[in-house]
Order: sequence, then structure tokens, then C-alpha cells
Amino acid sequence: MTIYSTLFYLLAVLILASTAIAVTRRNMVHAVIYLVISFFGSALLFYLFGAPLLAALEVIIYAGAIMILFLFIVMMLRMEGLEDRLFPLKQWLPAVGVCFVYGMVLVMLIVSDTTDAPPMPAAAAAPATFGQFLFQRHWLAIEIVSMLLLIALVGVLRLGRDAGGKTRPESEVAQ
Amino acid sequence: MNWMIFSPEICCLATALVFLFLSMAPVDSRRDYIVAIALTGVAVCASLAGIHAQGELFHGTYRIDLFSQVFKSMLLMGLFLVVVISSGLNGIERRYHPEFYMLLTICTLALMMLVSAVHILTLYVALELSSYSLYILVFLRKGRDQGTSSGMKFFLIGASASATMLFGLALLYGATNAAYFRVLIEVIPGVIHQPEVILGLALALCGFFFKMAVFPFHFWAPDVYEGAAHQVAAYISTASKVAVIAVLLRMAALTGGASTHLVHFLAILAIISMTVGNLTAIAQKDLKRLLAFSSIAHAGYVLVGILCISPQGNTSAIFYALTVLLLKFTCFLVVVQVAFDGENIEIDRLAGLHRRSPIMALALMTALFGLAGIPPTIGFTGKLLIFTAAMEKGYFALVLIAMFNVVISLYYYLLVVRAAYLLEPAEGEGALAPMPGAGILAGTLVAAIVAIGIYPTPILELIRAAAMALG
Repeated sequence: MTIYSTLFYLLAVLILASTAIAVTRRNMVHAVIYLVISFFGSALLFYLFGAPLLAALEVIIYAGAIMILFLFIVMMLRMEGLEDRLFPLKQWLPAVGVCFVYGMVLVMLIVSDTTDAPPMPAAAAAPATFGQFLFQRHWLAIEIVSMLLLIALVGVLRLGRDAGGKTRPESEVAQ
Repeated sequence: MNWMIFSPEICCLATALVFLFLSMAPVDSRRDYIVAIALTGVAVCASLAGIHAQGELFHGTYRIDLFSQVFKSMLLMGLFLVVVISSGLNGIERRYHPEFYMLLTICTLALMMLVSAVHILTLYVALELSSYSLYILVFLRKGRDQGTSSGMKFFLIGASASATMLFGLALLYGATNAAYFRVLIEVIPGVIHQPEVILGLALALCGFFFKMAVFPFHFWAPDVYEGAAHQVAAYISTASKVAVIAVLLRMAALTGGASTHLVHFLAILAIISMTVGNLTAIAQKDLKRLLAFSSIAHAGYVLVGILCISPQGNTSAIFYALTVLLLKFTCFLVVVQVAFDGENIEIDRLAGLHRRSPIMALALMTALFGLAGIPPTIGFTGKLLIFTAAMEKGYFALVLIAMFNVVISLYYYLLVVRAAYLLEPAEGEGALAPMPGAGILAGTLVAAIVAIGIYPTPILELIRAAAMALG
């Protein structure tokens, strides 16, 4: 076992364990912190595979921005510890079903014979090359994502305006 | 780069931008309606004019051929029809009308890109764009509770479906090392026996099953149809279904018919969807919920055509897309006219519709008979094509189960027709005052449903050529 595979399995265990703890925590703040650890683990995994840019993005965007947003929401809504059981019992059955399907997928992937399949070539690219490739070859997808952000903004404005308690009924607006 | 063949999409994008700016102008719903009709009308003309366009754009990630153009024409016609019935639009507050039209056109743009996308990255982001605009459209329903709770349900199920789909696409990419459909279609038949390929395909299809409301991703459909404004529900049940049929055909064509596992998987989903849809529809009191369950059942029938993976099967599925578009839209036209105040409508409220508005009652009856598959409507022709395609491949049991389902569905469609024709109107219900032009629209739709049902040859020829372009 090389040092790379040892590191890989260590990180994999770290990610799995921290995610499992995050899912089962009652205290939302603790859950978010454990999720941050899990994201750090994924970032290291990307680094190990030779994708330092992705690793940096993972830390900056997921562990940084999104989790901070989560913390804000948790603290603003004061959701400190849910008293009752997280899921009602009738939701366990579909959850177990989904887990079973994914478990099957995992087992089938592990037992499948991959000796004749060629391994994917590692594509290590500098950030500049990656950016050029993305914006030259896939700029349609980038434009679609920009439109997605635009309509997300519209949706947030609509939801936020109503939730802010400043809504006026239709008749008032018309006047 | 040849921009002319991209003109339907550009029309749609321009319409969306116009409404983005109108949303910042003073509220005037009459102006919004007229602008929307004019601009979407132009887009329909552009798509019909460019129906024989061909080419590739954006470094081969976007293919334009007869297959995609036929679907784009159907999508834009769906958009146009939904815009036409939005003259009242009482289900949505007036200050949000520009946003409504903007989201509707952006959603149509995304669906058009979905139909033309031949790269998995473009495919995925286009699907997300269309889903997100639909989530917000559902949220726009006046009266916070209805729209918000069903919108939330729609969003959560959609997010999990798209996560499943992303996992499937990653498996597929990992196994084949290809992201372009033209490469995938060569590689996949050779490696189809590997579990990750077949699982990747099956999981990737889940994102589209969600949009199509196929079991087990159908739970959102009744609540969303009930919670969304009538026009939005009409759009979800027509245009968005049409686009998904196109993508499912493209994805199924990737296997080249080499996998029996995938066919069995689709067949099981088809059987469960139509049975669950039809049996649950019987118990429904709300007309829109009933239409939702009938959509689930029809998704099952379309899957039968798709899983044939033969030219006949593809032709039948494309024809069925047109069928669903016409029939479901006619039903929603009546819903919008009867419930002009934007409130939900119970089946009992249809009582005596033939007295209150004979043309609407006739349109409802024709559309429901079409959905039940009674000749001489387009619905009968569509089902006949699907069942003959399946029989040619030897799926006798599947056709038999589908036929049983058609008989079950007849029961609840007839219940609605009975309410409209045999029951007396309630006290104080005068003649229905439909929006101007609704009678003409209903008459045209009835004529189209019957005419295409009796003489489908010209349209069928076009669709057959489109199915050939798929290969």
C-alpha cells in the first residue's frame, strides 16, 4: 500500500465519519461544524488527486461561504436542538429503501470486474488552462448558469419581500 | 457560427429580457398580456420557419436537427397557448405578471436547450434552469400558503431527483470517459454489460422521471397542480412534459437497444406509473388533482413507446407528445374559463356546463375522450401507435396491462363528462362569461383534435422524419 492510498483511505474514513456525525446531531451548530470538517476532507481528497484548484474552490465556496450562510440561518432562526425525533417513523421506510438501492450500487461497483477497463487518464491542468477551456468550449453552459442565477434572484426577491411582513394587499398597490 | 438556426432561442431570450425590464416599469397587466402574445407569436413563427434547419453550435455541444426543431415548435406552441389563456391570470398578483411571463419564457428557453443539448454538462444545467424557473412559478400563486407549501415540496423532490441524476451522470462519465452524446452512442453499446454503465444510465434518467412525474418521483404532481396557478399547471402538464419526452428518447437511443435490463427497468416504472395514476385518479374530487394523476398515467403510456427503442417506438412517443400537448391544454383551457377567479375547482362545480357554455363543455368532452383514447380523436391514434410499436417488439404483456389501464381511466373521465353534461347547474349559476376569443380557441382545438385523429398522415410523415434524425 503506497502512501497515497493510505492517505486516501484515511481521508475517506474522516469524510464518512464526520458526515455521519453531522447528519445525526441534534444541535444544528454542531452539525454545521462537522459538515465543514467533511468539506475539508473532500478538499484534501481533490488535492491528493492532483486538482489543487478544485480543492481551493471547495474550501472557499463550500466550507467558507455556504457553511457560514448556514450558520447565519441557524443562529437567526434560533433552532437550538430539536426536541422530538428527527424523522417520524413512517419516513424511515422510504429512507431505508433508498439506502438499500445505493448500497446495491456500491456492492455491484466493488464486485464488478474492472481489469479490462482502461483507467481514466488524469487531466492535471493549470487554473488558467482550465478557465480558458471552460469559457471557450462550454460558454453556453456558463450562460445558462448565469440565467439560473438571475431567476434565483427574482425568486428570492419575491419570497423575501413577502416574508418581510412589508407586503401590501393588491388593492393598496393598485391605488 | 450560423446564428440563423438559433433564432427561436434568441426570440425567446429577447422576450424574457423585455419582461425583465417591464417588471421594473409601473404595473399594467393588459400591456404585459399584449406584449407577451405578440413576442411569443413571433417566436412560434421563427421556430416554424426554421423547422428544417440543421447544424451544430457551441463546439458541438448543441445540435439542431429535425428532431430538435419539431420539439421546439411544439414547446413554443405550448408557451403561446399558455400565454393566450393568461388574459385573466387571477391566480397571480398583478404586480408579478411581468415576472410570470419572464419565468415562463426562460423556462421554455431552457426546455428548448434541453431538447438540443448533446453534451451532458449542457443537458444538466439546462434541466436545472427549467426546474428552477418552474419552482418560482409555483411559488407565485396568490395566497401564500397554497403556493408555498406545494412549491417547497416541488423543490425538495426536484433537488433530490437532480442529485440522483448527477450521481448517475458521474458514473456514466467515469465508465465511458465521454461526455458528448455522439461519443457516448458509440461507446455505450460496447460496455453496457458493466454495472456502472447501466446504473449510471438508470440513475441519470431519474432527473427526467421527476419532470415527467413517473413513479417513484410522482409525489409532487397532485400537490403542485393544485397549489400552482392554473396557467402554471397548464404549462407544467404540457410544455415541460413535451421536452422531457424528447430527452428521454435521446437518452434511450444511447443504448442502441442493447440492454434488456434497462428495458425491464423502464417497463416496470411504466406499469407502476399508469396503474398508480389511474387508480388514485378515481378518488379525486379536485379537477386539477385528477388531471395530475392522469398525467402520471400518461407518463406511463409514453414510457411504453420510449422503451421500444425502435423507429416506430420513437415516432409513437413524439406523436404522443403532441397528443398530450393538445389534450391537456384543452382541459386546462376549460379549467381557466370555469374557475376564472383563479380559485381551485371541484368536479361538482362543472355541473351543467353544457348549459352555461356549450362550446367549453364540448371542448372538455373531446379532450377527455381523447385522453381516454376513444376514436376518432388524436388520443386514440396516439395510443394505437404506441401499442402497435410495442407489439412489434413483442411486449404483449405490457400492452395488455396498458389496455386494462385505459379501461380504468375511462371511468373517471366519464365522471367528469357526466358532471358537465348530465347534472343540472347549481342555483344562481348563470351563463359562463369566458374571456374574449376563448370560444374560437376551444373550437380550433376541438377541430385539431378530431382532424389529426382522423387524418394524421401529414404530421406523422414529419414526425417519422424527425425520429429518423434522432439515430
